[in-house]
Amino acid sequence: MNTTVPNNSLPSNNLRKITKPPAVRIVPPLNFCPVEQQLYRSGQPSIINQAFLNQLNLRTIIWLASEEPSDEFLEYCNSHSINIEFVSMVDDDFDKHMNPWDSLNEPTIKRALELIVNKENYPCLVCCGMGRHRTGTVIGCLRRIQGWNLASVSEEYRRFTGSRGGRILVELLIEGFDISSVHIDKDKVPEWLK
Amino acid sequence: MPTNHEDIKPVLVPPLNFSLVEDTIYRSGFPMPINYPFLNTLKLKTIIYLGDLGHEKKEKKKDKHGTGEIMQNYQDWLNTTDITFHNLLVESSQEPFNKREEHEQTIKSLTIALQLMLNKENFPMLIHSNKGKHRTGLVVGLMRKLLQGWCLSGIFEEYEKFAMGKSEYDLELIELWQPELYVDDTNKPEFVRI
Repeated sequence: MNTTVPNNSLPSNNLRKITKPPAVRIVPPLNFCPVEQQLYRSGQPSIINQAFLNQLNLRTIIWLASEEPSDEFLEYCNSHSINIEFVSMVDDDFDKHMNPWDSLNEPTIKRALELIVNKENYPCLVCCGMGRHRTGTVIGCLRRIQGWNLASVSEEYRRFTGSRGGRILVELLIEGFDISSVHIDKDKVPEWLK
Repeated sequence: MPTNHEDIKPVLVPPLNFSLVEDTIYRSGFPMPINYPFLNTLKLKTIIYLGDLGHEKKEKKKDKHGTGEIMQNYQDWLNTTDITFHNLLVESSQEPFNKREEHEQTIKSLTIALQLMLNKENFPMLIHSNKGKHRTGLVVGLMRKLLQGWCLSGIFEEYEKFAMGKSEYDLELIELWQPELYVDDTNKPEFVRI
């Protein structure tokens, strides 16, 4: 360990002085947060988040809501060659009984996680309508794959659920999810999961 | 290895209020011995502690929370690593009865912290306080505004996720304070937009 005594012995020749914030402000999407390197989570981005999203250089967006995202969001993805994965809207005939407020089912979580554990999809944003429960479910299961203890996984999930708090069903889903069902290709696994 | 689920992985316990801030910048509450195995996985180069432990002016008569021992454990663990540790004094807020000299010390510590964040040579970096709420939230908020140009509403949303309802004077400081900072452009992190 090195302990330093902080001092302000700075200015030398190649230092540039900063006296104000960046001139153009950027607006993060609702419930935005980095999860791991080049992996992000949020609610559905809107038009005001464009400049913010641009700097993430996204390759993939994992869309977890069961409804279609807005047209402007789809157009944004199109014009920036971002691959958008609709993991939760797979089979309309088969999933007809599903409601938007239902929890994710296990095959959907597995599909989302298999995209996340593949670094070829990075930089990657995981999102749903509000970035609360569906996104929280997938990220929670990812944390379990990473070996986190369950209390910390729940703490993180609840941080994003807003004033109405977490849903016990989501936490049960995270706790019960069979992480061994997720296929991980060790040649494609992101650095932080090794 | 995550590819082989038969292997029993040790459970990793992240510190209280742990989260990514940017690629290779992390935030949390005070790391305790149960968190050290987790922290070892982050391969940290720098830790910034914003708090009051380790700055006691004189031996306290009674150390009812055992903070002396906690700090000693922490120092012992730091000694087993190559981490550069910056212990920056920020007294806990007694708002609205803050002393002027304490405020000046806070400003000085925050400036040093921001200065350290402007040099990517210091990453991976962990910024922590005691609970990972106010003092950490303050420096992350300042980074979002001064270095990244986030809009204030996005900053306040993020701050609130960790502070959970007790915001004190921090948001005001984030909004109004503009320090003089220096950056060496060859070491400037990618997320800095100025």
